[in-house]
Amino acid sequence: MVDRISNVIISVFSTTPGIGKTLVAINLATGLAYEGKKVCLVDLDLQFGDVMNYLQLNSNKTIAGAQRAFKEDPENFNVNDFLVKYLTGYFDFSILPAPIYVRDAYQIDVLAVEAIIGQHLRDFDFVVIDLNSAFSSMNLAMLDLSTIITYLGVADFLPALKNFKVGYDTLLRFEYEEQKIRLVENRADSQKLIHSSDVEKLLGEPFYHRLPNDFPSATKSIQEGRPLIFAAPDSKLTKSFIELAAHYTNRQIITPVTEVATAPKQGFFSRALNVLFG
Amino acid sequence: MAIQVVLVEEDQKVIEDMLVALRKSPEFEIAAIYKTAESALGQSKMFQPELFLIDVDNEKSVSLISAFIETYPDAKVLGMMTYWKSATAYECLKGGAVGCILKSFTIEEIKKALKLYELRGKNAPSRVIAFFSPKGRAGRTTVASILALELEKKSGERVALIDADLQFGDMPIFFDVEPEHTIVEATQDIKLLNPLTFEPYFHKIKDSVYLLSSPDKPEYAELVDVESFIEVVRMTCCLFRYVLIDLPAGFNPISISTCDLSGTDIVMAMLNNVFDIHHMRRTLEVFQTFKHGHKKVYTCFTRVNPCTEDERLKIQRELGYPVTDILPNEYQMISLANSGRLLKGLPKDSLLIQKIGEIADDVINERR
Repeated sequence: MVDRISNVIISVFSTTPGIGKTLVAINLATGLAYEGKKVCLVDLDLQFGDVMNYLQLNSNKTIAGAQRAFKEDPENFNVNDFLVKYLTGYFDFSILPAPIYVRDAYQIDVLAVEAIIGQHLRDFDFVVIDLNSAFSSMNLAMLDLSTIITYLGVADFLPALKNFKVGYDTLLRFEYEEQKIRLVENRADSQKLIHSSDVEKLLGEPFYHRLPNDFPSATKSIQEGRPLIFAAPDSKLTKSFIELAAHYTNRQIITPVTEVATAPKQGFFSRALNVLFG
Repeated sequence: MAIQVVLVEEDQKVIEDMLVALRKSPEFEIAAIYKTAESALGQSKMFQPELFLIDVDNEKSVSLISAFIETYPDAKVLGMMTYWKSATAYECLKGGAVGCILKSFTIEEIKKALKLYELRGKNAPSRVIAFFSPKGRAGRTTVASILALELEKKSGERVALIDADLQFGDMPIFFDVEPEHTIVEATQDIKLLNPLTFEPYFHKIKDSVYLLSSPDKPEYAELVDVESFIEVVRMTCCLFRYVLIDLPAGFNPISISTCDLSGTDIVMAMLNNVFDIHHMRRTLEVFQTFKHGHKKVYTCFTRVNPCTEDERLKIQRELGYPVTDILPNEYQMISLANSGRLLKGLPKDSLLIQKIGEIADDVINERR
C-alpha cells in the first residue's frame, strides 16, 4: 500500500465558545467538496456537537461506535461503517458524527481518535475537524495532527477578544508553528466597538481570512439545515467561504502530514508542566 | 461592658490557654466554664451569656447548637475545632452558629472571626448556586455577576463569586479588576488555611461582593485539582452567605463535582438557539443521574425574544422539563462588560436586570 501524503487535516478551533465554529467547519467542508475534493468532517465537540443538528441529519453512526469497533477489532475496523454521507445532489462529503449520549462522550479516548483520524481517513483529500473551545488533551492531540489550524475569533465582545488573544499566545507557547495557525476572523464587519486592525495589532499577526458578518444568511442556512452555498448562494458570506476553501486547496502541499506525525507527542498535562516549570 | 463568655470545653490544657487569651482583653469576660454542652445549656441562664465558645470536636455538642440558639436567642455561638473540618463547620452553621474558629486562638483572631462572621450575614448555611451551561456564550458570567450584585444590594449579606471557568474565565474583565490571587493559589494552600487566613484570597469587587478569580493562563487550570476546589467552595461558605460559581461549559470534573456538591442549586443558562433545547434536554438527563437527585435545578434560557410567558411555555413544552426563567437579550450588557462598567451601576429600567432582581428576591426569601 502506498501512503498518501497529500491528505490535509484542518482543525477548526477557537477559545471562545459560541462564535460559529460549527458553521465554519460545515461551510469549509462544503467549500472543499464543492471544489471536487473528497472531504470528511469530524465532529469532535463530543458532548454537544452540532454538525448533525445543523444539517438536520439523523443517524446511529457516531465516533463512539467507531471507537468501540476499533478497540474490539483494529484489524478489521472499517471507518466507512461509521460515516454518514451528506448528499447535495451535486457533490457530497462524509461526516463522522459526535456521540449521541453525553456519557459516551466521556468515554472517548485520545489515542483511539488519533488512530482513527490519522490512519483511517487517509482516503480523504481533506479532513475537517470541528473542535470545542478548550485546551483539552483531545484538542491538543488533534491540533498536533492537523496540517492547518483554523483559529477562529470574533472581536465584538471584550471577553471574547481577551480569550482570542490568550488562546493564541497559548498556542504559540505550546510551540505550534505560527505558519500552521491561520487566524480567521468571524463576523468581521459587524458593527462593533473594536476594529480588526486593532485586533491584528494585539495579536501581532494579520488575519489570514475574514468572514463577513452576514447574520441573515447564517440564520437561513441553519434554519434550512443546508450549507450556505445552497441556502444563500449569492451571499458574500458564501463567497468568502469559497475563497477560504480555495486558499486551502492551493496550499495543500505545504506541510505534508507525515512530518507532523513524527513530531514528539505530548499530552496536555506534560506540556502544561513544561510551560509552567520550563 | 465586657462580652459575657461561656466556654464549653473538656480539655484542661485548652481551657487554660483560652483563659490566658481571653483575660488579656477587657472586651471579654469569662462568665462560666463547662465541660459538657448539656450542662452549659441548662445552667448558663443566670450569667446572661452573650457568646458561647463551644468545642465542636465533640459531635454531641454540635448537635446541641440549635438548642443553644433557641434557649439563648440573643447570644452568639462560635464553634472551636482543633483541625479545620468543613463538614463540622457546615453542621455548626446549620445549627445557627456564627461559624467556627481554630483552637487555640489569640484575642485578635476571635475578634476578627466575630467581625467576619457578622459581615457574612444570617447565621445559616450558605446558598451555593452553580451556573452551568452545556455550551458557551450562554450568558452564565453575565447572569452570575448581576445576580451577585443584586443579592448583595437586597440582602446586605456577603456574596462570593468563584470563577471556575479555569481556562477562560471572564470575571476580572467583566468587573475591570486585577485580582492579586487566583483560584490556583487558593486550591494549593487550602489544606493549610482556615476561614480567617483564607479571606484575603478574595478580591473585593464592591461593598460585600468578592471574587475568587480564575487563573491568568489557560494551562494553570491543570494545577487545580477537583478535591481542593470543592474544599475551597466549602470554606468560602464559612465567609459568604451566597456563593455563586461560574462553571466552564459542558461536563468536566470541576463542573460535575460542583453540581454534585450537596446543598448546591444549579442554574443553567443558555442561548436560545434552535439546537439548544435539544442540548438542554440531554443535560437534564445527565443531571438526573447525579447522586443528589433531589437538588434543585432551575432551567434558565437567555436571549429569549420575545421574553413573554407564552414563549416560556412554548420552550417548556418543547423541552419536556420545567423552564424556571427566561431572560431577554440585552445588547446593552455587551457594552457594559466591554467597559467594565458593570460596577458603576446597573441600568435600572432594563428588563434583564429587573428579572435577575426577581431571582435575587426569590433566593433571599427562600422561595427558591
